[in-house]
Amino acid sequence: MLCQQKALVPFKMIQLFRVYKNFGSKNSALIDVSLTVERGEFVFITGPSGAGKTTLLKIIFCAEKPTSGHALVNGRNLTRIKERELAFLRRTIGVVFQDFKLLPRRTVFENVALTMEIMGFPFSVIRKKVHQTLRYLDLANKEGYYPPQLSGGEQQRVAIARAIINNPLILLADEPTGNLDPDSTMEIMALLKEIHIRGATVIVATHSQELLKDTRRRVVTLNKGRIV
Amino acid sequence: MKLPFFRYFVRQALANIVDNRLVHLVGVGTMAIAFLIFDAFILIFVNIDYWTVERGRSLTMSIYFKEAPERIVLEGIKKELLHFPGVTIKRFISQPDAMESLRRQLGDKAGLLDGLEENPLPASLEIILSRDKSEDSLPYRLKTRLERIDIVDEVQYSQEWIKRLQAIMEAIKLIGIVFGGLLFLAALFIIINTIKLTIYFRKDEIEILKLVGASNRFVKIPFLIEGSIQGFLGGSAALIILFLVYIILITRVDLRVGFVSLDIIFLSPQFILSLLLLSIVIGLIGSSISLGRFFRI
Repeated sequence: MLCQQKALVPFKMIQLFRVYKNFGSKNSALIDVSLTVERGEFVFITGPSGAGKTTLLKIIFCAEKPTSGHALVNGRNLTRIKERELAFLRRTIGVVFQDFKLLPRRTVFENVALTMEIMGFPFSVIRKKVHQTLRYLDLANKEGYYPPQLSGGEQQRVAIARAIINNPLILLADEPTGNLDPDSTMEIMALLKEIHIRGATVIVATHSQELLKDTRRRVVTLNKGRIV
Repeated sequence: MKLPFFRYFVRQALANIVDNRLVHLVGVGTMAIAFLIFDAFILIFVNIDYWTVERGRSLTMSIYFKEAPERIVLEGIKKELLHFPGVTIKRFISQPDAMESLRRQLGDKAGLLDGLEENPLPASLEIILSRDKSEDSLPYRLKTRLERIDIVDEVQYSQEWIKRLQAIMEAIKLIGIVFGGLLFLAALFIIINTIKLTIYFRKDEIEILKLVGASNRFVKIPFLIEGSIQGFLGGSAALIILFLVYIILITRVDLRVGFVSLDIIFLSPQFILSLLLLSIVIGLIGSSISLGRFFRI
């Protein structure tokens, strides 16, 4: 329902080739990172703080450009992408952050509707889809609330609602449970798995070993900017 | 532009203004002052232009006589004058008429004239030269010719002060261009900084909008609308203040050059519209400059 159902033929959704990212001359966030993520995969990126997990995700959703190397997302080379194409590409990527990045002066409804407003959907369509998504995330009774009025777990669910309302091909989650209690953590992880089952390629960056315990998903470990 | 987009942009622009109302209020106020000075200049310019054009279109010439002319002499002069193209006879003012007219103009102070033993005012003949039909040199030629007649004492015409007014207008034009340019830059500077502040306040929102796939254009348009609204409000406030000042001016002040009372006119609707449009354009340019700086990052 919520994620695009693509025929699951093998397809490289994300490809990084010898990616380097430097901030200034001495600070290397990523060093020679090569990584391929297939369509429909669920991958954990892990490593200690400062390992480069967030930078890696930022490169995938084009908040940062590689200093050298190439990054391809859904077949598009991010080093050569134009501003307009970039906006369209981002509409196929949902992103969830540790600090939720919700607009505090907009209601839950408005926050979730944002992605569809950007695409110019008529309000009647937006309203229907937002209600549907909020129901799916058990937030139907919270649509008139403002983010500061919600608990951490609820805010993260709103952020997930905003990320998935547009049926993204890829869902990136940067420490999605970093600010949550154990119960909310379980809830959010269950949601991410469900979204993956519905067809999205999911990448979760986390330093929490608790989340990786007993997982059968692929785990990519970064340390000091390198894949180990 | 799709209707949902347009609605979204206007809603966002208005929300931005309401959220940052203090910044906007200060911005609109400062801009109104800049526009007011600019508009006042335009008003002065428009009025001087109006006076010179109105007065310059037809030129009044007064022929003063040494003594009251005999009827036959006067008719002879009139007949001769009418031979010149563009000349019409306005009126003959006898000495008593001249005194009466002066008494009227002096109003309360007319009593000053009571002490005079004899009427010192000369009789005169006023003629009108239409500038459209006569040559530029005609007033001078007529003056020279008329002053040769024994009975004629002096000939005066209104071109001298029109020329002076035109010179003043040229100077005002120059000052207006320099001063107007500076005020334009000041208004632009105000808009740039107001929008920059609101952009700064909404930095997180812009980041989120871009993350969820908003194009630069989508993010920028509400700020452009915001700048235009600010320009419009500043421009409108300036025009309203100017109009109020104008109303006070026409009811309280009697502007005269010599004995001629000058009408003060307000800006024409076309001028008002152009000034409003200019303030909107300044708002638009100002906000796009501040956006350009922000989006370069």
